[in-house]
Amino acid sequence: MSKTIQCVVVCLVLCVSLAFSQGLSPPSNVTAMDTPNDDGSSVTIKWDAAPEDSGISGYQILRRIAGGGLEEIGEMLPAGATSYVDATIEKGNAYAYIVRAVSDAEATVDSNETAPAKGTGEWFHTGKIPLFIAMLLFGAVIVWNIYYARSGKEVFVRRIPGLEAVDEAIGRATEMGRSILYSLGLGRVDEVPTIASMTILGQVARRTADYETPLRVPCRDPIVMNVVREVVRTAYLDEGRPDVYNEENVFFVTESQFAYAAGVDGIMIREKPAAIFLQGQFFAESLILAETGNSIGAIQIAGTDSEHQLPFFIAACDYTLIGEELYAASAYLSREPMLLGSLRGQDWGKVLIFITMILGVVLELSGVNWITTLLQRVN
Amino acid sequence: MLDKLMNIDRRIVFILVALAVIIPTKLSVNLPVSVSEPTQKLYDYIDDLPAGATIMIAFDYGPASLPELHPMARAVLKQCFEKNIRVIGLTLAADAPTLANTLMEEVAEENEAMVGEDYVFLGYRPGGTLVILGMGNSIASVFDSDYSGTALAEIPMMENIKNYDQISLLLDLASGSTTEGWITYANAQYDLRIASGVTGVLISQMYPFLQTGQLVGLIAGISGAAEYEDLIDTPAKAMKWINIESFVHLLIVGLVILGNIAFFIRNRQEE
Amino acid sequence: MRRQVPLVLCFFFGVTIILTRFSPHPFSQSFYEEVNSWALIIFPFAFVLATVTLIRSHVTRIRRRSEHWQYSFIVFAGLIAMVVIGVPFGPQHPVFEWLFNNIQVPMDATMFSLLAFFIASAAYRAFRARTFEATLLLVTAIIVMIGNVPIGDLIWSETSSVKQWILNNPNLSARRGIILGVSLGVISQSIRIILGIERSYLGGGD
Repeated sequence: MSKTIQCVVVCLVLCVSLAFSQGLSPPSNVTAMDTPNDDGSSVTIKWDAAPEDSGISGYQILRRIAGGGLEEIGEMLPAGATSYVDATIEKGNAYAYIVRAVSDAEATVDSNETAPAKGTGEWFHTGKIPLFIAMLLFGAVIVWNIYYARSGKEVFVRRIPGLEAVDEAIGRATEMGRSILYSLGLGRVDEVPTIASMTILGQVARRTADYETPLRVPCRDPIVMNVVREVVRTAYLDEGRPDVYNEENVFFVTESQFAYAAGVDGIMIREKPAAIFLQGQFFAESLILAETGNSIGAIQIAGTDSEHQLPFFIAACDYTLIGEELYAASAYLSREPMLLGSLRGQDWGKVLIFITMILGVVLELSGVNWITTLLQRVN
Repeated sequence: MLDKLMNIDRRIVFILVALAVIIPTKLSVNLPVSVSEPTQKLYDYIDDLPAGATIMIAFDYGPASLPELHPMARAVLKQCFEKNIRVIGLTLAADAPTLANTLMEEVAEENEAMVGEDYVFLGYRPGGTLVILGMGNSIASVFDSDYSGTALAEIPMMENIKNYDQISLLLDLASGSTTEGWITYANAQYDLRIASGVTGVLISQMYPFLQTGQLVGLIAGISGAAEYEDLIDTPAKAMKWINIESFVHLLIVGLVILGNIAFFIRNRQEE
Repeated sequence: MRRQVPLVLCFFFGVTIILTRFSPHPFSQSFYEEVNSWALIIFPFAFVLATVTLIRSHVTRIRRRSEHWQYSFIVFAGLIAMVVIGVPFGPQHPVFEWLFNNIQVPMDATMFSLLAFFIASAAYRAFRARTFEATLLLVTAIIVMIGNVPIGDLIWSETSSVKQWILNNPNLSARRGIILGVSLGVISQSIRIILGIERSYLGGGD
């Protein structure tokens, strides 16, 4: 008797749900699989797009952990959706999914349950293969050129007037019996322009050690200050003049951008240095520093990769190292073959980029767009 | 005379600039503002977000750039609160927390937004790019509490926000190179959409990112802020200041032309 | 040994951090997060270092009676006031906020506003039509300056469109060239640092 009642109830439920889901067909080809190229924290569910007249107004994803009950996850997806990434899984658990199609009248119909899927972390992101190859290629070009230069072959470096003028500036300060002011800008120690600036400072310090010209270095970052002290001290030591080195000449001013500018301007106006080096990363304070330097008649050599500040330096300074010239400075001043080799490698990199650009433009104009597609994939 | 015109003492230039700023403040000049495409794009992007979406605003500027960047922040916050878009504020600049927090509280009060529900200010953490990268994995791993010390887990609006995946946009209001940092680390590595509001000197630096689509939109200097005020139909400080700035620009152009006329005449005489 | 340890550390972390960018596996991501956290820890120490250095340098100035040594007392007054109020009561304390809003904000804004004066004097001095290129620069600068403010469109209705074209095209092309060069320079410099060829950051050349 009870079995008969059960059968009647099940039939009734089926009839009611059939009436509600009339016209709705369940999402087809539903699959759940580990999301590729992630850390194993998600599973991707995919299904076929429903025809436009299917009456589906959205989808709700349901999931079940092995042996557990169904639970709704995420919000309702739009009608056009064909995939969903479940990023709320617990690692190690396998989940089975159902995609529920919902109509405007809130009728629902469920897909078949997928096979259980687990999230697995991948060791290599296959989408980044082109980037990885480009990185290896560029690295190899640089390393090869370093070895080329080390083998004794001559590497040509074009004249950089700003670096040629370093000796002139130091000489002038020495003749006038005035100090040299060197600012590394606002960059922190982990920023490449700051490191490039330290290299130039090392070379400047070697020359000032020879001439006993006071070298003043106001710093904005305490870590930079400590490294710079070491750079200057070593330079003086290498030149056999540790007695001339004065630690107090490399000092911390403040972390605040404009307070730093005020402090350095104050030093310029009080001490009237004959030569001013502004090398590193600069922002809005660049012109405040350079104009003050200009007003006291100092010879100014600036250099920055902050291209937005270049116009200000060019307007107010005698020489300006533009962009990558700042990075070339260490090789240029030291003439160290390994550094010169890396410069050559850099130029090869540029040539590769030019070729890619020209090829890309030509192909794109002829209707072939695989280079553009490839680069977009890398992005 | 020509030499004098070619080499006007910089102090005279300074006085002229001061006058060009002071005199227009006493006059009520209202010049029409035309909205540029980058500003319009940002406005439209935020306007199209559904209610309940969350955006981040990074107040990456100190007190010095406040006059230029605060009006932008004020305008965008107003737009968000009116549209029920939730805002997470933070900063990478050590001297910004006080001013950013005060501004968020002010605008929230004006628009009846509730802290913890409609907005939250996380404050400052040192480390720059490391902070940006850290939040890509987990915001709570970098900011375990908000600026007032409330644990992130106890803030209602942060309940479902784990990392950049739940953030619709990051607006970086910057007086330095932080926007590049957000683009390089948050956009390229975590697909976070980025927009920027910058001081006048940084405007041209942002254009390459606009063209590539790495920036959703851009508020460019005080003129951009005035455009945004125009878009949200709330003329305020930026609208006033951009009119004053017009006169300073005219003065500089006038000085440059004067110097060149003198230079040209002297060259002709020498020839 | 003093040089080798940092060079080895630099090489190891440089290479492994690059590799983690290509590996989404939880192990490499947690390694990356761990290194990130360690690096983050270093920065607060820098503030301690900064304070100590600042105090030391100003104490020396006072002791030596260097020029304008009296100003060092103002540094100490500011430092002590902000620490005494900020550390125990937090930056949201009304007195701290008052000091910040009424001293630091106007002083910083004053320095920033100097830029307007300096831009005027530098522009006046630098923009001279000496050569064809300089003339081109001069004309472009005038259009952009005028196009950036509402008065530009009143003078000529197309000013802002021309300005936008200049920013979108010639400006962008030149800037991209510089950016490409700088980016390659950064990559090359980074490789030099990771491989230990560039050692200036360790203090000295060799």
